Amino acid sequence: MYLFSMASLSEEVLLVVKKVRQRKQDGTLYLMAERIAWGPEGKDRFTVSHLYADIRCQKISPDGKAKIQLQLILHTGESTTFHFSNESSALKDRDAAKELLQQLLPKFKKKANKELEEKNRMLQEDPVLFQLYKDLVVSQVISADEFWANRLGDMNNSDPTPYNNKQDVGISGAFLADIRPQTDGCNGLRYNLTADIIESIFRTYPAVKQKYGENVPHNLTEKEFWTRFFQSHYFHRDRINTGTQDIFSECAKQDEKGLKSMVVQGVKNPLVDLLSLEDKTLDEGYGVSTTTPSTSNANRTVKESSNAAIIKRFNHHSAMVLAAGSRKGQAAQMGTRGILTSSSLLLNPFFSLAIEYEDLQRENRLKTVALNLKKSDRYAHGPVPLQSQHYTTSQDIINSVNHIRHEMVNYKPNLTQVLSSTAASSAITALSPGGVLMMTGTQQAINQMIPTEVQGELKHLYAAAGELLRHFWSCFPVNSPFLEEKVMKMKTNLERFQMTKLCPFQEKIQRQYLSTNLTGHLEEMLQTAYSKFHVWQTRRMLRKT
Amino acid sequence: MKLNIDGLLVYFPYDYIYPEQYSYMLELKRTLDAKGHGVLEMPSGTGKTISLLSLIVAYQKAFPLEVTKLIYCSRTVPEIEKVVEELRKLMEFYCKQTGESNNFLALALSSRKNLCIHPEVSSLRFGKEVDGKCHSLTASYIRAQRHSDPNLPSCRFYEEFDSVGRQVPLPPGIYNLDDLKDFGRRKGWCPYYLARYSIMHANIVVYSYHYLLDPKIADLVSKELAKKSVVVFDEAHNIDNVCIDSMSVNITRRTLDRCQNNVDTLQNTISKIKETDAAKLKEEYRRLVEGLKEANVARETDVYLANPVLPDEILQEAVPGTIRTAEHFVGFLRRFMEYLKSRLRVHHVVQESTPQFLKDIFEKVCIDRKPLRFCAERLQSLLRTLEIADIADFSAVTLIANFATLVSTYSQGFTIIIEPFEDRTPTIANPVLHFSCMDPSIAIKPVFQRFQSVVITSGTLSPLDIYPRILDFRPVTMASFTMTLARTCLCPLIVGRGNDQVALSSKFETREDFAVIRNYGNLLLEMSAIVPDGIVAFFTSYMYMENIVASWYEQGILENIQRNKLIFIETPDAAETSMALEKYQEACENGRGAILLSVARGKVSEGIDFVHHFGRAVIMFGVPYVYTQSRILKARLEYLRDHFQIRENDFLTFDAMRHAAQCVGRAIRGKTDYGLMIFADKRYARADKRGKLPRWIQEHISDGSLNLTVDEAIQLSKHFLRQMAQPFRQEDQLGLSLLTLEQLESEEVLQKIAKIAHQT
Repeated sequence: MYLFSMASLSEEVLLVVKKVRQRKQDGTLYLMAERIAWGPEGKDRFTVSHLYADIRCQKISPDGKAKIQLQLILHTGESTTFHFSNESSALKDRDAAKELLQQLLPKFKKKANKELEEKNRMLQEDPVLFQLYKDLVVSQVISADEFWANRLGDMNNSDPTPYNNKQDVGISGAFLADIRPQTDGCNGLRYNLTADIIESIFRTYPAVKQKYGENVPHNLTEKEFWTRFFQSHYFHRDRINTGTQDIFSECAKQDEKGLKSMVVQGVKNPLVDLLSLEDKTLDEGYGVSTTTPSTSNANRTVKESSNAAIIKRFNHHSAMVLAAGSRKGQAAQMGTRGILTSSSLLLNPFFSLAIEYEDLQRENRLKTVALNLKKSDRYAHGPVPLQSQHYTTSQDIINSVNHIRHEMVNYKPNLTQVLSSTAASSAITALSPGGVLMMTGTQQAINQMIPTEVQGELKHLYAAAGELLRHFWSCFPVNSPFLEEKVMKMKTNLERFQMTKLCPFQEKIQRQYLSTNLTGHLEEMLQTAYSKFHVWQTRRMLRKT
Repeated sequence: MKLNIDGLLVYFPYDYIYPEQYSYMLELKRTLDAKGHGVLEMPSGTGKTISLLSLIVAYQKAFPLEVTKLIYCSRTVPEIEKVVEELRKLMEFYCKQTGESNNFLALALSSRKNLCIHPEVSSLRFGKEVDGKCHSLTASYIRAQRHSDPNLPSCRFYEEFDSVGRQVPLPPGIYNLDDLKDFGRRKGWCPYYLARYSIMHANIVVYSYHYLLDPKIADLVSKELAKKSVVVFDEAHNIDNVCIDSMSVNITRRTLDRCQNNVDTLQNTISKIKETDAAKLKEEYRRLVEGLKEANVARETDVYLANPVLPDEILQEAVPGTIRTAEHFVGFLRRFMEYLKSRLRVHHVVQESTPQFLKDIFEKVCIDRKPLRFCAERLQSLLRTLEIADIADFSAVTLIANFATLVSTYSQGFTIIIEPFEDRTPTIANPVLHFSCMDPSIAIKPVFQRFQSVVITSGTLSPLDIYPRILDFRPVTMASFTMTLARTCLCPLIVGRGNDQVALSSKFETREDFAVIRNYGNLLLEMSAIVPDGIVAFFTSYMYMENIVASWYEQGILENIQRNKLIFIETPDAAETSMALEKYQEACENGRGAILLSVARGKVSEGIDFVHHFGRAVIMFGVPYVYTQSRILKARLEYLRDHFQIRENDFLTFDAMRHAAQCVGRAIRGKTDYGLMIFADKRYARADKRGKLPRWIQEHISDGSLNLTVDEAIQLSKHFLRQMAQPFRQEDQLGLSLLTLEQLESEEVLQKIAKIAHQT
């Protein structure tokens, strides 16, 4: 097949769909092991090619629409739409592609997610890096890939340990509530299901997962399955009325069984075991409170039992959510409990904890550093703008006025010991701005003369330039075609940086009449880089010729 | 540390002491010195138990002839075990300080279910089954039968105990339930009977209320305990209800049906025995004629339940002739049962006094009062004579016989109410005969009379003066202690309005009001967002909670709460609730945070502590009034008014407030703990309600927090929680709420301490 010649590496082709239009061009869609690609008819190259890892999700056009489409949304936010135009089998083709993608995407998603998460984390943890990213990538000086190219490498090599042991992610307690149904405009409801929600449902309700495995895809399509799930009473509150034809009625029963088995297992902590709380429960028939007839199902109203069902459901739901989050921890817990029961000579830990008065004992715990709060109110309410706390009382003011008045009254100029007029005027010139004695003074005042925002901007420029230059200089000595290419690109990057970032900044400071040469050093650095580049380029030209 | 409490050397197993503990011990010593009774209220979490134990043990050591025994009664099995563990700690401290080995014997006693080590019997789930099975292995006539037929099953632990266990007393030491079982396993002795035997000579006995208050058991277990004992009822805020429960009986149609079966079985057994072993019945009859109270000497294992009436009411005379022979007695029972059946066929509610009932029964079926009084004993005697193995099956007929004895013995303090149906379901016939005790002092009276000092103590006994009135005794000391705090670690807030100014209340008129329900939901939702870890919310009744949960569900409030915390809800099923509780604690432990919705007066509110992060906030939705439409309650209120001059409203408010205090008090278990207490009902702001809360809660309710809106409460809570989250060091407490020995010796501090106790 000619496909193999097209791709740089030989790839396994999983699915080929013909008659797929993209941007009003007919063509063929290929699903390969690691990417999806589309080539126009009659051409031997792909005009569209996306790695699966880059794809965030796929969307399909609703049933009944004239155009049968499949849209791919990338992590970058771009999207590509394929229109299946084979009249006879468009729907089938589209579903086949969708099914396959559905299986493939999650595999890559994890990897992509992990990387994305990692990048995200790095940016969040390091404000300087984040600023750099904004300066360089967001303003399109360099591409994101370039930016990360050597960062991620560093990260993977330097300290991989903290990131390797991945944590199990728990389930949100409200995941069912998060599936907000939306009206679709024609008296129906639309539920938006994501892979996360589906996973949450499966993890919390294994019975549903089992049903899914049994029925999808041979009995029901996936869509039908979920439609039934949401229509089912199982999802809704009155689970007591589950019809027999409903595939989920069995789930409800299974859940009930699960709950029962949990209950039968009993509890480990004797302090919460309500069954063995009472030493001697009164025999049936004794006592004032009668046998509570309201619990017997016979004379409960429908409303009451549906209320009871809700309560049961909440307990079960919470227990399952909790269990899904801590499945791993259980083994460890069981272990410690085993030890506890075997050594009965030791105090029962539950009791020894319950009778402990830690503050009555002399402290032998580790000393911790206490937060020393001068104003706990400020801590409690968050930061409050600091007000000037230095008050001068009116008495102070009166006193000082009196004092000055007193001084002035007693002031007598001593005219015999004043400077000559020439000496005085030369001293004044020397001390005026621009004078000899003021030269150092201006230098020091640079951080006062320039507004803080400009300072900040300058700092960012320095950081960005430094980063670019680092990339640039790391290419030398240029000894491979790759580096050659990179150094060329870095040169253009530097130029672009000068054009888009540095020049506007210079204009800005000129507009603000900050004449001091703030960017001189930056320009110098860039200039050095350019001259280096020129030297290298001329030498290369010489070598070539 | 070693303390000098009014001249008594007290070993206290900690390095520091709370001022209120010192004060409490002083008061306790005065009670013991006066050989009288006392009522002491001290907040939970201030080390009440260890103070009690330290002082009484010191007293016992100093005056061994004055106080021979401490009987410590607590309510639940975990509480009992906790007390024993604290005692163990104290005794270890004694040994370390004095260098002598411990010569005290202290033990916990519980039912067979918690002490049995027989492999088959102990595997049974319900206490009743365990008791029955045990009886069927150890009753004296069964053991006698085994002499002729060695193949019959037996309990080797009891046999071993019976043959050697009594000769050597249990060596001194501290025996918790598990220790007793271990000891029993090592020796091959039955721990239950060993414990029951050993409490006679033990210095300290820890067991549950029933062993002292329920005459059916007290007479078996605690009959021979020395008079010079000190009795402590811990967590005694509900003691009146325990007393009432132990004397009350309910009879339904089902009881009577089962009783019918029992009587038929008795009849059959009698006729069978007549053919095979008529001499046995004759012998029983002969002994009854001779005036012996019981036909044969009952061994400890034979008696299942003792007489339901109090010992001083039991007639010391021969069984009347009409019920002496077995057949006559069975006939008598039949007649009585038929009479009860006819009484249950009513169509309207009947309420009558015991004399009225007796008059009616005499007129209708010619049953006299006297044979009725002997019913319980006569039945026990018959069951023994017939050598019935599985006595648990005969619980229905025992219940009827006990009722007969009770109703004919007491002419005052009881009422009989026959209800043909439940109020909520008037269409379904479900007749019940309530024989209800209305006077808690009846059951507790012998305890006050018999023992020289009885101490009633709890974290919530306010108002103190009501307990001596309803239990009818004269205390020599009554004191309420507050909690000295270096930082205000409890924050009671009364939320009376929603953000929309709707008055919040659970009162009957606004029960179904959606605005109130929504505002309650809003309160919980907002709290769930700001309180770390665990929140416990209590409702006034189970029905109320069900309705509110359902409408919160419909309004989507619960969904929103789930975003913040997991939700667990108490159900009427104890096993299910236990599981929910454990999961709740797990969720608090792993940082996810959870909310427990529970019911005041329920098992959770009575027996479970929510220490530290298990309960950072308690929300009390509404005032937990008891269901006032109940006829039993109405009768009791009437009785209280007529006999104790307690007004109905006073009692109802007192009862509601003690339960509310119990609920909110669950969250604070010590000075290092902290928690919000939110009373979500505007009625709490009224002086008559507020004034009935324990002093240690009351004094932290500021005037500014009497009628808050939800928003205001949230603001205050945020502030409180942030402040409390700061590290709390011992140095902050020292001198204020924590004292060293040196500080205790200074005159100034002692004067300050004297103010802590609030005498009434």
